[in-house]
Amino acid sequence: MGQLELVVAERGRRSVATHQFHRGALRVLRPHYLDGSGQVCYVLVNPGGAYLGADLYVIDVEVADGAKLLLATQSATKIYRTPGSFAEQRMRLRLGEGARLELAPDQVIAYREASYRQNTHVTVRPSSSLIMAEIVTPGWSPDGASFRYEELRLRTEIRVESEASVGEAGGLLALDNVLIRPPLGDVTGLAFMEGFSHLGSLIVVDPRVDQALADELHEITAGLGAHTGISLTAAVLGTAGLVLRSLSNSTEELRRVLGAATALLRKPWYGQDPLDLRKY
Amino acid sequence: MTYQLALQQLTDSALPTGAFAHSLGFETYVERGLVHDEESFGVWLAAFISQQLTYSDALAIRFLYEDVPVAELDALLTAQLLPRQLREASTKMGGRLLEIGAEIFPSADLAEYRKLVGSGRAAGHQPLAFAVVARSLNVPLPEALAAYLFAAVTSLTQNAVRAIPLGQNAGQRILRKAADGVAAAIERISHLTPDDFGAVSPGLEISQMRHERQRARMFMS
Repeated sequence: MGQLELVVAERGRRSVATHQFHRGALRVLRPHYLDGSGQVCYVLVNPGGAYLGADLYVIDVEVADGAKLLLATQSATKIYRTPGSFAEQRMRLRLGEGARLELAPDQVIAYREASYRQNTHVTVRPSSSLIMAEIVTPGWSPDGASFRYEELRLRTEIRVESEASVGEAGGLLALDNVLIRPPLGDVTGLAFMEGFSHLGSLIVVDPRVDQALADELHEITAGLGAHTGISLTAAVLGTAGLVLRSLSNSTEELRRVLGAATALLRKPWYGQDPLDLRKY
Repeated sequence: MTYQLALQQLTDSALPTGAFAHSLGFETYVERGLVHDEESFGVWLAAFISQQLTYSDALAIRFLYEDVPVAELDALLTAQLLPRQLREASTKMGGRLLEIGAEIFPSADLAEYRKLVGSGRAAGHQPLAFAVVARSLNVPLPEALAAYLFAAVTSLTQNAVRAIPLGQNAGQRILRKAADGVAAAIERISHLTPDDFGAVSPGLEISQMRHERQRARMFMS
């Protein structure tokens, strides 16, 4: 079990936590600043090292107007056997006007007989900027087969809320629902995982998202090996989303695709260099 | 039996919704050489039935029959159809179906949905346009689902017969097999939950996205 609450707001030229709470097996490391942009970086830590059956992790993050947060993890999220049950993560992310959130977690690894449900609810304002990366991979199994887990369920809902619509449900921008259940049938083949084992995805929501950006992202990711698709969501309240999905057999390859795509956004949008978490 | 003929008209491939112009992603597989004959198209079609048609179209139809407001489902579909061309295919064919439906099977519910679409409060998706009409005709849900899914499968198969190309008899053999897939899907749909909505496989979605960048193509999606 674990619970984490974090509110980040702009103070002077830097973003700082104005509220922080944790309970159980979830906490954050001391914040740091990777560059001079004022974006604060918090690293999420699960001291237990893994998610087990019936585990519930609740993460609640708010980035206030104009604040900038980078949320990373210390290590991969490992899901071990969850016999007759499932591990669950519920995440609620809220971005204010002009707020920026980059979510750059390590990969989720689902081992043999693991069931995992991840529910993410994001609320943005029309001027917010969101970059969410995610990689899910099967864990090592004694027989070398890739899909020995029971079920992976990753559901992300993104809503756009305006000043006038606060408190209402808000305009639904994207519903990204991934469900992989290997025991129910062959998930490896054509029109499912296409012979690949690893899935990467990047969701970007920003008023600057447009077709030209999608084309540019396509150009730079096309030569990186993974099987990638990019498309735009419909616009809601003046902002729009871009979804990149990628299949591969390697975490490193997916990391390169997502990293290259993120780097392309960071420089012109935020004036920041490519993200390099490894050096810290 | 009063709705039988109406249902046949609604799901006839001659109904001018423009389905002939959409591969809904299979053209990407044709271009990559992965779908090239009766067998390989059958594999793709089976996946399309058990993924796209089950988790998106059919589930939306079922929810409408369960009184979920049409505006809510319309927004869900727009948000869930992440590949742009697929979203556009759904609203293009949906728009035609709303128009035709209003002329041949008008109802208060259909007028209400058209009003939402006309005022920009809804996009007008194909499965919902169909569901609103079918429900107004008192078509029971299992029959509505069977008719919708088999109509979708039929137009895709006809498109494959032209595009791959396949023989006419091969097309009929594919349809006969797909009927079993449709029956299995209808059984599964009744057990799905709201959390399952939109759980389309990554492979299908990526191919639908990649279609946007395909150079030579016969289809709009």
